[in-house]
Amino acid sequence: MELINRWRAGDGRAATRLVGRHSQALARFAASAGERDGIEELVQDTFVRAFASLDSFRGASTLRTWLFTIERRLMLDRRRAERRSRETVPVEESDHVSEYGALDGLIAEEAQERVRKSLDALSPTQREVFTLRVQQGLSYKEIAEVVGSTEGAARVHYHNAIKTVKEFLKDE
Amino acid sequence: MNKCIDSDIQEMLPDLLHRALADGERQRVQAHLATCESCQEDLEVLRTVKSAAVFAPSIDVDSVVRQIPPYRTIVPATERPARTRVVSWLVAASLAVVVLGGGSILLQSNGSLASRARSQQPALRIAKVPDATKPSPPESVARSKTGMQPSIPAHPQALALAADADGLSDGSLVQLMNDMDGFDALPASEPDPVISVDSGDSL
Ligand SMILES: [Zn+2]
Repeated sequence: MELINRWRAGDGRAATRLVGRHSQALARFAASAGERDGIEELVQDTFVRAFASLDSFRGASTLRTWLFTIERRLMLDRRRAERRSRETVPVEESDHVSEYGALDGLIAEEAQERVRKSLDALSPTQREVFTLRVQQGLSYKEIAEVVGSTEGAARVHYHNAIKTVKEFLKDE
Repeated sequence: MNKCIDSDIQEMLPDLLHRALADGERQRVQAHLATCESCQEDLEVLRTVKSAAVFAPSIDVDSVVRQIPPYRTIVPATERPARTRVVSWLVAASLAVVVLGGGSILLQSNGSLASRARSQQPALRIAKVPDATKPSPPESVARSKTGMQPSIPAHPQALALAADADGLSDGSLVQLMNDMDGFDALPASEPDPVISVDSGDSL
């Protein structure tokens, strides 16, 4: 809360420190959740929204958990908008393939590619829970806050997810 | 390989990776790991997944910070957003239409149409349910509309919704917002200062 208060008091460097502290985690969460394009823009929007409503952040959760919640909300909005635009303008299957193919070329690490594929095998909620837990190190309580669920449900999702990912990585 | 039944330990493995365990817990997990092949495998999977998280693009902190307005210029979340002010204005305007126009809107659509619409969309009915027994002449609609609110496009649904925005269901609010997005009088882009948390949805 100290940095937040300093920013409220007009210290611009406090914003730089806050963004610097959390921006990569937000980018990783977006990438892990399956976002491929515009992750920087998404992170940007998350911070703009967060700073605009900082007064509603009471410190009950950690700032990072709160930021994840905002980012997740934005991702959902994006996907809804994408779904709507897909309904009006049908996208050729080949467009998807070439788009992903180009991105695959950028991801050189074979292990990363395997992990990404294994995450693709999860349900959206399993994937969120699993990556927040494993890549971000959030507790089950924090995860429940971010995804709007319960701790118990988060634990179940985690167990199912690791089972699936383990089998997938073994088979590869 | 034996299946591990210690779900407590399994659930703590990510914390071991993130060095988030207290000493006692860490020792307990490590002691278990020494004898449990299944958890050793789990830990290896978790290591792989954790290290693969680096494929996210690196974020330019300065360019993000540049987009954040200083604290004073940000509309506090407690202040009413511009959209709400527009809605309030529309409430006043639509009430004026109802009062001045009387039942003339109903007169334009026939009675069965109005009642069918009422049964289908209960939240949209405020402005369309004036006293049907005393319809006023149709020209009063034109008079009140041109006299009261020349810049508002004809949009009876949104006007009707606006008359009772507080009591609307989520779906109706979404429809109102969508309708209002089509208004020429509104700015093309508008910050939405209130963060709403979606609790039931999943990605
Ligand atoms: Zn075990």
